[in-house]
Amino acid sequence: MSVGPLFLAFFQVLIAGLLVGAIYGLMCVGLGLIFGVMRVINFAQGDFLMLGMYFTFYVVSAFGVFSFLGPQAAPIAGALLAGPVLFAGGWILHRLLISRVTGTRAAAEREAGQAQLILTLGIALILENGALIVFGSTPTAVHTPLSWSAWMIPFFGGASSVLFVNKARAVACVVSVLIGAALYWFIGRTRLGKALRAAADNSEAALYMGIDVDRAHSVAFGIGTGITAIAGGLVATYYTFQPYVGFDFVIIMYAGVVLGGLGSILGAFWGGMTIGLVQQLATLVLPMQLQNAAIFVVFLLVVQLRPQGFFGRSAERV
Amino acid sequence: MPRGMDLSRRSLLLAGAATMTMGRAWAATESKPVEMAFVLPLSGPWARDGLLEREGAEMAVDDVNKSGGIKALGGAKMKLIIADAGDTPEKAKDATQRVISQYPGLVAGAGCWLSSLTLAATEVSERAHLPWLTLSYADSITDRGFHYVFQTSPPGSTQARQTLPAVIAVAVAATGKKPATTMIITDNTAAPLSVVKPMVEGGLLKKAGVKLLAEEIFTPPLSDATPLAQKVRALRPDFLFQFTSNVPDDALMLETLTEMGLPRSVLPVVGNGAHIVTPELLKVAGKNIMDGVMTGVGNWPTKKAESLVERFKKRTGEPWMGQDSISAYGHVMIVKWALEKTKVANREKVNAAIHAMGTSTGPADYFPGKVLKFDANGRRSGAPLVIVQWQNGTPVTVGPPEFAVAKAIWPKKAG
Repeated sequence: MSVGPLFLAFFQVLIAGLLVGAIYGLMCVGLGLIFGVMRVINFAQGDFLMLGMYFTFYVVSAFGVFSFLGPQAAPIAGALLAGPVLFAGGWILHRLLISRVTGTRAAAEREAGQAQLILTLGIALILENGALIVFGSTPTAVHTPLSWSAWMIPFFGGASSVLFVNKARAVACVVSVLIGAALYWFIGRTRLGKALRAAADNSEAALYMGIDVDRAHSVAFGIGTGITAIAGGLVATYYTFQPYVGFDFVIIMYAGVVLGGLGSILGAFWGGMTIGLVQQLATLVLPMQLQNAAIFVVFLLVVQLRPQGFFGRSAERV
Repeated sequence: MPRGMDLSRRSLLLAGAATMTMGRAWAATESKPVEMAFVLPLSGPWARDGLLEREGAEMAVDDVNKSGGIKALGGAKMKLIIADAGDTPEKAKDATQRVISQYPGLVAGAGCWLSSLTLAATEVSERAHLPWLTLSYADSITDRGFHYVFQTSPPGSTQARQTLPAVIAVAVAATGKKPATTMIITDNTAAPLSVVKPMVEGGLLKKAGVKLLAEEIFTPPLSDATPLAQKVRALRPDFLFQFTSNVPDDALMLETLTEMGLPRSVLPVVGNGAHIVTPELLKVAGKNIMDGVMTGVGNWPTKKAESLVERFKKRTGEPWMGQDSISAYGHVMIVKWALEKTKVANREKVNAAIHAMGTSTGPADYFPGKVLKFDANGRRSGAPLVIVQWQNGTPVTVGPPEFAVAKAIWPKKAG
């Protein structure tokens, strides 16, 4: 076999890995932010992704809110709108439920850690089954020509050697990178972002400095929910989904966050990217069935060699 | 008045109450509905197929009850018990267990659409001696020597034997030459593998003179189909066997092939199962993606069921009635037929009646082929495979010739 087709296959799969990885990265950022600021292990994160998918579907396909933008841009607008709407949902959810077992109100209670695990698991079950009742079990998708069309990049080795870049995934990748960068800037440069970091580093000290830690937690939970919902909306442009779809992604999200380093936004993005790349590149050397097994082999290797993840700190913050 | 005839007020009241209770007990026995369970995937990636089966079963039970119920049981009504088999064999097994223990009066059961789920459910139903009807394809369902399971679709190995000549005949008719190469993309659930095994390990492809360029097996659901489509692109088979088993994977695989320059007008795609001809695919993937896709199914309405199809469409709003709904309808009708024969709501007797079945009327109208009968293993004797193809956004029967309503389309450019 000549080298040309091998190179072509490698670069094709590499492109797929980068595109998928960027979207995984955005999902992981949402989860990483919630964990980083609040130390909450949120089992419902996959279901926020699912809500983002259904929100985009209803706004774009069912109600045609953005139909004036055309079938290419409307799904992206719908996905972006899912962010603020689910931010509000996340904020309210935090205020009503999550804050009772996390943050300053629960700091003194030793069982708060277990309570938040059970609470988020309960929220996940309610969201999944509620979605089954409301949306039904029929798989659906945001119908857009982007999902089955591609940009073609000529590749050396003849006229038939072309690299395909799926338009829906490419657009989702660009939006994911932009949102990830915007969040990175927001956390690093704005006053509210600094408040979030302070609340994450030492909530007690932040409290003494006049920062409303509970408000910071609500904002972090809302942003984490909103970002994951945007990722869900973007995925919905090329992926058929149903109410239980969150479970397929939540394991990837957790693996990405741990891989990147718990508590690091940048790390969460690169963790997601790494998972996307490993998942796709593994198919070059392993049977397709072992695609997801490869992710966890790499995951275990990283955890063994660098337990704090790519960007995590080796010492516990005090 | 003699002493023995002396009736006190208390004894009269007691006698009256006893008479009323006896009357109620008698009435309850006579009109007690006959229960049949359907354990179907109503959540998870196979939920749509489960829903289509439920629609067929509900319509059948309504039809039975509206037409006077089970006449041999004094007009007893049929009652449907529905349970969610979920998306794993464990959930399917638990659901079956729960239904059987909660409804001890069940006379029969049916489900669970996906072979992997059916295999788990029938382990439970067999122990409970509950006759179980299924449209699932895996050979192993009726290979285990079970006595209480009935498979109304042709099993995977038979489908593999019937699919290949049908596909080759269509290709030869369209292009004048036999396709020489193929590639198989399959998920690792039981039904697709039971079709793939005889093709590859059983040597069916070799015997047919079709070279297998590659066989790719994946675990559903697919996260991205690019690596698979890339391999198809690199190998360029004359046609592709796409044995995905759920709507999301069907759509993703077909969209990725189209995106990478392999639409159906260039690469013919042959699937297996009815999931690839559900109305949802038209919504999630679109006509341009689906047109040309061909699939072998265990059941599809024939001319005998024309009026039923029209009533089904009107009742449910579904654009057509496919394998899942008509098989479920037929399964209810098989149980009704058995109850009319046995004249008693007893699962052992119902099981014996279905084993002894050999009819070309009644429930036979809802299955392709002339006679409805089962062999000792519960496998339907002589069950033919029906070939269906998407044409102009609708699945139409293109084979075998006795059922075909349209000519199969095969791209001239393909092999």
